[in-house]
Amino acid sequence: MSRPQRSPASRLLGMLLGDVPRGRALLALSVLLSGCASGASVALMGVAGWLLSRAAEMPPVLYLEAAAVGVRFFGISRGVFRYADRLVSHDLALRMQSALRMRVYRRLSGTTLLGRRHGDLLVRVTADVEAVLDLVVRVVVPACAASLVIVGTTVLLGRFSVGSAAVLLGSALLAGVVLPWLTQRVSRAADATMTPLRGELADRTRELAMMAPDLVALGAEGPALHRVLEVDSRLRTAERRAARVRGLASGGQVLAAGVAVIGALLIGGQAVASGQMGGRILAVLVLTPLALHEVFSEFTSAAQTFTRATGALDRVVEVLDAPPVGSGDSVKAHVDGVHVLAADPPGLHLADLTVGWPGHPPVLAGLDLDLAAGQKVAVVGPSGIGKTTLAATVMGLIPAVGGTVETTGRVRYLAQHAHVFATSIAENVRIGDRDATDPEVVSALLHAGLEMSPDRIVGEDGATLSGGEAQRLALARVLVDHLPADLPEPQPPLLILDEPTEHLDSETSAQLMDNLWASAAGSAMLVITHDPEVMARCDRIWRIG
Amino acid sequence: MAGPIDPRLLHRARATVPFLVALCVTGVVTAVLVLCQAWLLARAISSVFATHRTDGLGRWCLLLGTVFAGRAVTSWATEWLSHRAAAQVKSQLRGDLVSARLSHPTDATVTSSTLITLITTGLDALDGFYAKYLPQLVLACIVPVVLAVAIGLQDLTSVIIIAVTIPLIPVFMALIGWRTEAAMARRFRVQTRLANHFADLMTGLVTLQVFGRARAQLEGLRRTEGANRSETMRTLRVSFLSSFALELLATLSVALVAVTIGFRVAGGGMDLRTALFILILAPEVYLPVREVGARYHDSADGMAAAEAAFAVIERGRTPVGGPAGSSSAARPTEVPSPREAPVLLEGLTYRYPDARRSPGGTPASGGAPAAGRTPAAGGASSPDRVVSPHTPPALSGLSLRVDPGETVALAGHSGSGKTTALDCLLGFLTPESGRIQVGGVDLTAAPPASWAAWRRRLAYVPQNPGMMRGSVADNLLLGYPAATDAQLRDALDRCGGTRLALDKEVDDDAEGLSAGERRRVALARALLRVEQDGAGMLILDEPTAGLDDATESTVLATVRALGASVLVVSHRPQVLQDADRVITLESAQVAS
Repeated sequence: MSRPQRSPASRLLGMLLGDVPRGRALLALSVLLSGCASGASVALMGVAGWLLSRAAEMPPVLYLEAAAVGVRFFGISRGVFRYADRLVSHDLALRMQSALRMRVYRRLSGTTLLGRRHGDLLVRVTADVEAVLDLVVRVVVPACAASLVIVGTTVLLGRFSVGSAAVLLGSALLAGVVLPWLTQRVSRAADATMTPLRGELADRTRELAMMAPDLVALGAEGPALHRVLEVDSRLRTAERRAARVRGLASGGQVLAAGVAVIGALLIGGQAVASGQMGGRILAVLVLTPLALHEVFSEFTSAAQTFTRATGALDRVVEVLDAPPVGSGDSVKAHVDGVHVLAADPPGLHLADLTVGWPGHPPVLAGLDLDLAAGQKVAVVGPSGIGKTTLAATVMGLIPAVGGTVETTGRVRYLAQHAHVFATSIAENVRIGDRDATDPEVVSALLHAGLEMSPDRIVGEDGATLSGGEAQRLALARVLVDHLPADLPEPQPPLLILDEPTEHLDSETSAQLMDNLWASAAGSAMLVITHDPEVMARCDRIWRIG
Repeated sequence: MAGPIDPRLLHRARATVPFLVALCVTGVVTAVLVLCQAWLLARAISSVFATHRTDGLGRWCLLLGTVFAGRAVTSWATEWLSHRAAAQVKSQLRGDLVSARLSHPTDATVTSSTLITLITTGLDALDGFYAKYLPQLVLACIVPVVLAVAIGLQDLTSVIIIAVTIPLIPVFMALIGWRTEAAMARRFRVQTRLANHFADLMTGLVTLQVFGRARAQLEGLRRTEGANRSETMRTLRVSFLSSFALELLATLSVALVAVTIGFRVAGGGMDLRTALFILILAPEVYLPVREVGARYHDSADGMAAAEAAFAVIERGRTPVGGPAGSSSAARPTEVPSPREAPVLLEGLTYRYPDARRSPGGTPASGGAPAAGRTPAAGGASSPDRVVSPHTPPALSGLSLRVDPGETVALAGHSGSGKTTALDCLLGFLTPESGRIQVGGVDLTAAPPASWAAWRRRLAYVPQNPGMMRGSVADNLLLGYPAATDAQLRDALDRCGGTRLALDKEVDDDAEGLSAGERRRVALARALLRVEQDGAGMLILDEPTAGLDDATESTVLATVRALGASVLVVSHRPQVLQDADRVITLESAQVAS
């Protein structure tokens, strides 16, 4: 527990063990069980060697019974211990994985993601989190258990022959520390060359998949295929280099076992010849390291997994350690009922506003705007100028750098590509208002022009919806409102639309805008767009940048 | 339990066969070395035990050292050979996957993310299969037999114990597997759904945040995580049973052999040397079988990856334009240029395998309620290409004629099949019925090479033009690789791209170019093909984002002046007015 030098991944593991009830005890239990399982097969060979040697002295059979029982016991217990070890370690690892997911989710949900290039980050973190399972089940538990077995065996053999125990420990260090360390260094170097190549391969594949129609139409299939295969061959060269060294390590493993066995034979043989040691111990001394060979190999595979898993977890730690930006959740999406009713009509007032990402230079300055209920303004400017940052500031997701933002009532946001969750249509709509009743959901869908059963389950990432349908679903989310029966109708929210038609064909987009304009007549709207047809529908155009 | 190797893997990657043969040879050598090792150890121990002298010990140790060195070499060779086999197969599958994609460029059932995952990390599962599972499978077939024969020559009882227990291992594992298969499959589905919840929340986190709902999901996440864990543990308790049976049988048999020979030695029925020889060999007999069991998951992962790859590749097997086998040997037919010959589409009908996935727009409203009640998620995960006759056609019985130099506009509602018609004409889709003829040459049943020849006559601007990473100039050169910088500049200027620098860098997903700029580059690319490369027909699909169409009208005029024909999808009055003829597609659903 050297505090100052702990790696991010091991710090994370310690934290997660703390998150799981009795985490450390479970870890100790699974190491113990795993050690017993490996130990059983070593003990089986040792005791069997003793049994045979003792039998060769032809004692009364009674003297062999105890050893025979021992052999049978170890024969049965190995499987039992292994089964128990697997269950305990997997349960612990899964609990730790859940704990990590909770931590990651809590952290990311509290930091504003809108307007940042986050797609890659979120997908990567989702996959990286799973490395915890590998690290616990394939690295920590087996490596600790193997060390336990090796130390235990060394101590036991040391009582018979210090010399051969020393050789055993030496070869174990070679096989368990030096070789894995070497393998790990090499595979880390290999990973360092391979990771960018994999990224390159993914990029080129994506490019090819995205522009396949263009490539085929242009007759450029051949060069495109070559672009992908060229990266593949570079990747293959790097992999070959890594495999060569892995092969050397596994050969080294066998040699280490050989050293231990031959050492035991030489030292034990001398001891027997000089009368320092009983003849029947020789078989024990030689056969035990032979059985340990299997335990050695755990280290090499653990080292390989270690590199990959810690790499992934280091990236997760980076996400967890990053200081939060903004508020995460918009606080203006829902205002409590009384306030909504008492609120002035939806509106927006910007005065000398400067916006920018916290910790970065401001992107837009001196913004002034007054927007009253029912007014629609198109926000136009070159891409990358900071329009989405402006939207995030208006929603209160990030603080204004300077000047004032005042909004009245609620603020809702329609993105160019809203996520469709893998659940029913109705639940997807209720993201907009949790309390919406079934008829209210149906009415929102109707206003959005989506004729679809609210009970229909939409697949992963909305795979069963077309682009137009997904956008209509997102619109229904923006339009849905829960109206308590005994209260008057609330004021409509201020709407911010961010390139609402970017991915739609012009006809679908026209229909969508028709629906939106009809359903949100009373709303003030801030419409970020490039689309001249959308601009034409707005009351005025606000050019920024 | 020895999962059979998918014959398609062997068939597809013939180049791996030498590696597999070499692996088998290494397996035999390993078995012989293990035998030598056991014999030498038994000999040395029993001799020292009997004589209490170290005569000859040095020589035996030297021989043992040689044997261990030999085993080190075989273990290195095994690792290296299996890696080479895996690399060979992976490269070949990558190439095949990419080619499959290119043979069905508009196929939406294989998303680009599926393809990327498969090509980058998915196929890596084959490493586990080749590097871990396959060598053990080879060893498991060779080593036990060789060693059991050696033991049998020394002692019959021991070999009987081994001969009885070894076959029991796969039998028990198969029994357990068979008994639990249905329950496992069911649990696996539940587990997958629960496990995906986190991914779903993460992908939708931004959406949740703008509605102020992100933090509220924590409780739900905690619940699904708990449910996911207990479901997974329930699955594991069963799936670990088979490896439990394997470990138990293997170790228990060694114990039985040890005790049996122990009592035989005590009774004088066997000498120590033979007994030690058998004891050392016994675990080695079971080791490869146990390893196969332990690596079974690697095999299952690898097989699943191969399966997924084959599904994509085999979909690409039937190239557009008719069966590959029947006519691929035929010489590609010369296809006349649309500048000289009329292009005829006759009675084209096309149905998408899944009506909900038609590109370009809203699905058939008539089809949606019927599909709504069925578990839609299942449809998404198993994209079978079963074309139901009840699926309304995306295009039904379209006939049109484009004469040389003529401009024909296609109009109609979204979902009426305009883009589908273009896809058929370009050979991206094979129509269910109908014919495509150019100057008397029937393209419908033509081999892929003829389609390639036909596409050289075309310049195409899709709804969402694709851009590759590189400069604007690189992207323009795709249209006509021999173009000079001056020609590129001129084409781009005339397509409204005066403010775009040729050396402007285009990033992934056309990052750096706006939708309008992308359109202009694609137009310029098409213009180059018509002007410089002799393409005879410009095919222009309507852009997704509304752009000013003044430049496009200018380009259309340029193209017509060159005598090339134009087929344009649009519903803009300006474009329709300029066309020689307007063909309005009826909504396909209404027709059915």
